[in-house]
Amino acid sequence: MEALKNAFDFSDQPRLDLTIAGALALFLLIFPLLPVSAFALATMIQFFIFSLYGMGWNTIGGYGGQVDLGKAQYVGIGAYTTAVLLIRWDIPFWFSMPIGVLLAVSWSFIIGYPLFRLSGHYFAIATIATSLVLKDLFEVWDFVGAARGLEISPIAYQPPDYLRLIFKEDIYYYYVLFAFFLVGILYLNWFRKSRLGFQLRAIKDNEDVARSLGINVHWAKIKTYAIATGYVSVVGSFHACYIKAIEPEDTMSLDISILIALMAMLGGAGSLWGPIIGAGILIPLKSYLKEWLGGMAGLAGMDLILYAVIIMLISAKEPRGVWGIVERWRRRKRS
Amino acid sequence: MKRLLQWTAVVAGLAILGGLLAPAPALAAKEIKIGAIYPLTGGAAAAGRELRAGAELAAQLCNEARSDIDMTMAKAAGIQSMGGAKITLIFKDHEGNPTLGADLAKKLILDDKVDGILGCYHSSVTKTVSAVCEQYGVPMINGSSTSPGLTERGFKWFWRTTPHDRWFTKDLFDFLVGLSEGKVRGVKAVPREDINVIASACENSEWGSYVSKVIQEMAAEYDFKLRKSLLYSDKSPDLSSEVRSLRASKASVLLFASYTSDAILMVKTLKTQKVQPRIIWGQDAGFDKPEFRSTLGDAIEGILTRSVFLPQVVQIKPVAGQVNSLYKAKTGNDLGGASARAFTGLQTWIHVLEMAGSSEPAAVQKAANAIEIPGQELVVPWAGVKFANTGSEMGQNIMGSGLIGQYQKGADGQMGVEIVYPFDVASAEMIYPFPQW
Amino acid sequence: MEILASSIVAGLLFGMVLALVALGLTIIFGVMDIINFAHGEFLMYGMYTALLASQVLGVDPLLTLPLAALVGFLLGIACYKGFITYILRGPMIAQLLGTFGLMLLLRNIALLVFGSEDRAVHHGVLVDKSFEMGMGIIVPATKLAAAGLSVVAFVAVWLLMNRTRMGKALTATALNPQGARYMGISTEKMNALAWGIGGASVTVAGALIVNFWPVNPYVGLLFTMIAFTIVALGGFGSVPGAFFAALVVGLITEIPGFWDFLTYTLELDWMYDVPMTSFKYMWIYVAYFIIMVVRPRGLFGWKH
Repeated sequence: MEALKNAFDFSDQPRLDLTIAGALALFLLIFPLLPVSAFALATMIQFFIFSLYGMGWNTIGGYGGQVDLGKAQYVGIGAYTTAVLLIRWDIPFWFSMPIGVLLAVSWSFIIGYPLFRLSGHYFAIATIATSLVLKDLFEVWDFVGAARGLEISPIAYQPPDYLRLIFKEDIYYYYVLFAFFLVGILYLNWFRKSRLGFQLRAIKDNEDVARSLGINVHWAKIKTYAIATGYVSVVGSFHACYIKAIEPEDTMSLDISILIALMAMLGGAGSLWGPIIGAGILIPLKSYLKEWLGGMAGLAGMDLILYAVIIMLISAKEPRGVWGIVERWRRRKRS
Repeated sequence: MKRLLQWTAVVAGLAILGGLLAPAPALAAKEIKIGAIYPLTGGAAAAGRELRAGAELAAQLCNEARSDIDMTMAKAAGIQSMGGAKITLIFKDHEGNPTLGADLAKKLILDDKVDGILGCYHSSVTKTVSAVCEQYGVPMINGSSTSPGLTERGFKWFWRTTPHDRWFTKDLFDFLVGLSEGKVRGVKAVPREDINVIASACENSEWGSYVSKVIQEMAAEYDFKLRKSLLYSDKSPDLSSEVRSLRASKASVLLFASYTSDAILMVKTLKTQKVQPRIIWGQDAGFDKPEFRSTLGDAIEGILTRSVFLPQVVQIKPVAGQVNSLYKAKTGNDLGGASARAFTGLQTWIHVLEMAGSSEPAAVQKAANAIEIPGQELVVPWAGVKFANTGSEMGQNIMGSGLIGQYQKGADGQMGVEIVYPFDVASAEMIYPFPQW
Repeated sequence: MEILASSIVAGLLFGMVLALVALGLTIIFGVMDIINFAHGEFLMYGMYTALLASQVLGVDPLLTLPLAALVGFLLGIACYKGFITYILRGPMIAQLLGTFGLMLLLRNIALLVFGSEDRAVHHGVLVDKSFEMGMGIIVPATKLAAAGLSVVAFVAVWLLMNRTRMGKALTATALNPQGARYMGISTEKMNALAWGIGGASVTVAGALIVNFWPVNPYVGLLFTMIAFTIVALGGFGSVPGAFFAALVVGLITEIPGFWDFLTYTLELDWMYDVPMTSFKYMWIYVAYFIIMVVRPRGLFGWKH
């Protein structure tokens, strides 16, 4: 009960932020009812997906300061669990999703234990390595379709199937994801004020001091990593039902890991709204840039060049991202 | 200041809203929109260019009245049963990425309101795109994806004109058996043990891994010894360990399923590693591309490739010659497997629309299931186009057939492809065994 | 036997080239404790430089090495002066993010300029030639030349670092930046120099690799991972360590060959079915992970 109250308690946030957040939430609620194109709706779904990935990343990467570039492996575990269970044993989404989270979290404990003996760049590279190893294994594992992947047949189920999350129109997916999105924010809000959240920030500031305060640094990191994993795995499961055809190259590619970290860092790692802002900027930019430049095959990569420049500017000028700029600006206002 | 911030937020919100509320395009009359999803960039971009040119040529022949081409669709301008409606192709680039393909399909169907879809070359992309079409009840005709699994899914809105890999692989084994029985033109019966040990290397996506599986099944069925079957990523930058593994297997028949750049790399590596099998056979795709020929030069003499279209077809099919000369004028290249099948794919679309008399999905579906295009209309050497609409292979064209060709240097010193299978249409004597590198 | 022998030879030759790839990374790391995510992208530019220069000038790609070195040197210094110097003072996370952004930038500029298609060297004195070394070992001429030249370049850089005033100043900066500053060494200049030399050595490696390995804008990451593994194995900042570690990693890339050898020697049925070639790069990642976790100082580490 206490936890629930904490989750809904945003009182430490400035009033203005909450007003804007509320207005935007209202906008997101009515968005699909407006006469928008299918493309815009698909873009918004991507926005939700990556916001959630980013929120998960933010727990370990933002509050914990451990740059993780291997999140895609958990997207894969979630997506594959849901797809395999549905295709082979007809187990619906709402049951396979928790199983997926369980598997992903177990895997995160297995590799997290050795992984968190590393830090900084070495940790970042090691997360890439684990993710690529898992992808290579999935690419030859016949039980999960190897490199061919798995397909949830669109004719095997009668849409709308709320239990299996098989719909024809994107609008259904939109609202399911919107609900996840809100829950994700609430959980993160609880997390940052929880005991683990405080421990983590102490670790980020100075590991030695944190250790002298009696915090089990290694264990705190592993636990947080598991939470991050949970977020990503849930969305991975959703992804399987939404895309309906998954393959290792698609769900577990390094690009996804990179994009997740990128968005969270761009928006502002270690802040509540950062990952959402990051996804809100990058996803529409990515989709629409691709749409406008798509006809001009000669301009491939333009969108990523733009990202890269943004990232480099951010890292040189304000490592805390867009949210860092907002906060700095605010502080200057106040003084 | 607070005021300013609020205003900024409002303006930003409105800007986002404005961007997202792009109006849906209006439907123009007397125009049939077909969305063509092809790999226009990425590793298979060369194939994409061919596919695009092939489809464009078919659209052009339909939209203009060309009395010099012996095809029904070329005789009058536009679709006659729909008052001369013109075909408009909307090209999208899937980069070989299945998810992107599905997104594009959704966009074409919902935003661009296309009447049908054509594509997508990569079997993996065709799989996701056809699933989207199936869900929305939009007809899709596929001209060039050969993974057998695609038509085994029981889809009602998916038709495939090209024969698939099970047929092609069967052709190959029939050919090998024929070789040992002396049926091949210009080759005396080869002792069976000379060609009994085979090894395969296939790219590991939907298409290649299915080919690999079919090769395993067929090898067991025809009693050949499959010593090694490798899968590799077509994005793999280096194939030397794969090639060394093939060499270590001491197989005398090497089978490949490769896309363009990996096919070139594979042959180059075989050459530098001096792997010396008796037969090298490629499952179309990369082995059938103009780039394959131009990059590797004389090194490819003696390599076999299965195909559905070889330049030699021109000699047995006049209509193919007519289309080929138009294609050559347009692109500078001869028609190849990719372009001829893209052409045939769109041609089938045109015949289906002509028969349906409407672009209503239900009418198109009915027409596609009943269509029968005679062989003399086609550029490819098939008996015709007629789709199975019952059984385990829904939507598969049952009148297609494949060829096996061999790269041979002609009298003019140009590298060409001669037909060696089917035996009765062989256009030259086969080079056997594969020459020293 | 010949399978085993040819795998070992191939692994060692590739390892010699990889040593040069890792050298640049370890120099930069040694001097300023920053890890360059864009390392493989430098290599990719080296590959494109050699490929395009040989096409434009109509010479063998091996003759374009000086040009590749120049491009790498300038690219390294430009990256340092234009960007790295601004993130050096920032927190670690900003450095990571920054070089990561640099990687994306370099990669996508290449995509924009060169396109996504694979390109390979098709003409050259050594291309498609190979030597038979007896015992059934066949060595492609390009690989042999690349390995030889790579060792030469490696030794040259090592001499530069150890036998010249400039190199000694660099080493001094690496060991104790503050002390070096007191001795009148401009650390800013030394840092730039480290990036220049590091960049040059890896682009030269790229120019060698392109002789037998096609290039596209995405090749960089694989080599970044390989370089990290080598540097981790050899000990961060250790030059001789990098060389031996590179040979080991070269052999790791030949695990499929060893597997084939075992398969045909033991003739066990299940061994035929293991798709070992599908895992050929996976072992590198596994090796990195294990080395970092078990022995973070590497096999020959002297720093940290």
